[in-house]
Amino acid sequence: MSGDPDDRDLRAAEYVLGTLSASERAAMELERTVDPNTEAAVRGWERRLAPLAGIVPPAAPGSRVWAAIEAALRGRAVAPAPAPANDNRVAELARAVRRWRWTAAGAGALAAGLALFIFLGEVAGLRPGAPQSRYLAVVNRGGEAPALLISIDVAAGTAQVRPVGAEAPAGKSLELWYVGAGQAPKSLGVIGTEAKRLPLPAASDPAGLSEGLFAVSVEPPGGSPTGAATGPVVYTGKLIRE
Amino acid sequence: MRDDATLLRLIAEIARGDEAALKALYEATAPKLFGVVLRIQRDRTAAEDVLQDVYLRIWQSAGSYQPSAGAPMPWLCAIARNRAIDVVRRKGEVQGPVTEDGEDWVERLADPHDSEGAILGRDALRACLSRLDTTQRDCIVLAYCEGYSREELAARYDRPVNTIKTWLHRGLSALRGCLEPAA
Repeated sequence: MSGDPDDRDLRAAEYVLGTLSASERAAMELERTVDPNTEAAVRGWERRLAPLAGIVPPAAPGSRVWAAIEAALRGRAVAPAPAPANDNRVAELARAVRRWRWTAAGAGALAAGLALFIFLGEVAGLRPGAPQSRYLAVVNRGGEAPALLISIDVAAGTAQVRPVGAEAPAGKSLELWYVGAGQAPKSLGVIGTEAKRLPLPAASDPAGLSEGLFAVSVEPPGGSPTGAATGPVVYTGKLIRE
Repeated sequence: MRDDATLLRLIAEIARGDEAALKALYEATAPKLFGVVLRIQRDRTAAEDVLQDVYLRIWQSAGSYQPSAGAPMPWLCAIARNRAIDVVRRKGEVQGPVTEDGEDWVERLADPHDSEGAILGRDALRACLSRLDTTQRDCIVLAYCEGYSREELAARYDRPVNTIKTWLHRGLSALRGCLEPAA
C-alpha cells in the first residue's frame, strides 16, 4: 500500500509472471504507460524470466490462424467483440485500481484517502441518447461525491466531463487522458472547475472505447508540457455501457 | 531463420506496413509463440484465437519496438504471454490441472537441446532458481510457463491465496537478489 520501489517491483514481477488478476493487470497496463519507472520494472522482469519462455516447446497452429490474420488485415473480418463486463469484474477492478491509486498518491502530490469506485447502472439527469451510443464513467472518491462524471457521446464524438469532487493540488492542473488498449495515452484536455465538453480521440469506436481506461493525472498548470502524462495518476475509470 | 538480425529486419518492415514481412515473421515465429500461448491457454481453439490476436498486436505495435529495450524474441514472447494471460484471467475460470505430468522446467533450462541457440541469462536464471525454496520456485515456474493463477496455485498446494502471494513475493525477491546482487 505504498509507492516504494519494492512494492512497484513486486507488482511488475507478478504482472510479468501472470499472477495478477484481470483488473490488477489492467491497472498495471495503465501504470506502465504513464510511469517510466514501472515500465522499466516490467522490462526488467521480462528480461530476467525470458529464458523460461525460451524452453517452452513449440507447437504448430492450425492453418486457419494465418488465414484469419490475413482477413483481419484486409478488413474483411469484424473486430472481436469486447468481453462482456459483469459485476464481479467491475468490483474487482475497482478494488485493484483503488489499491493501485493509493500507491500513486503515496508517491505523489495528493493526500491519501481518495478511492475509486465504478458504478453500473442508471445515473439520473443524463439526457437519453440513442441506444448503444452513450457510455458513462463514474470516478468516485470513497463514500463521497464522485470525483468526475464523464459521459461519452459516441455519435457526437465528445466526452462531457463534469467535475464534482476532483481537486487539483495548489499550483497544478488535472489533465484527463484516454488510454486505449495497447495504446499510448491521449490527452483529452485539462479539467477545470466547470463542466466541459472535450473531443474524443479521432476514430474512437464504441467497442474500442470500452476496452480503454480514462485517467486523471496531476500536471503543471495548463497541462503536460510534453504531450505525455508526467505527474502521478490520481483517478482512473473505465467506461461502462449505459 | 530466427536469428535476431532477421527478426529485427522483419519487425522494421512490419512497422512500415509490409504484410509480406508479417507473413515471414509468422512463419518464423508462430510455432514458438503458439507453444507459449498453448501452455497458458490450454484450449487449442481459444489458443489459436489468442495467436491471431498476438500477430495483429505485433502488426500494430511493431513501430514502437525499440531494439535497445531488448532482443526481438523476448519482445514477441512477452506479447504472446501477455495476451494469453489477459484472456485466461478475464475469463476468470480456473483451468483444470495439466493432465500430463508436470514438466521439470528448471531441468529443461539446463538442457541445451531444448531451446534454440544460447538464451541470454539462461544459466544464471537456472542457478538462481535452483537456490530458491522448492515450493517458491515451483510456484514461479508454474505461473510463468503454465499460466497458473494465485488461485490455481492455492488449490494445487492447498494453501490460502495470501500464502501463495507471500511465497511468490519471497521467491521473486530472492530471485532478483540472486540475479542482481548489487541491486
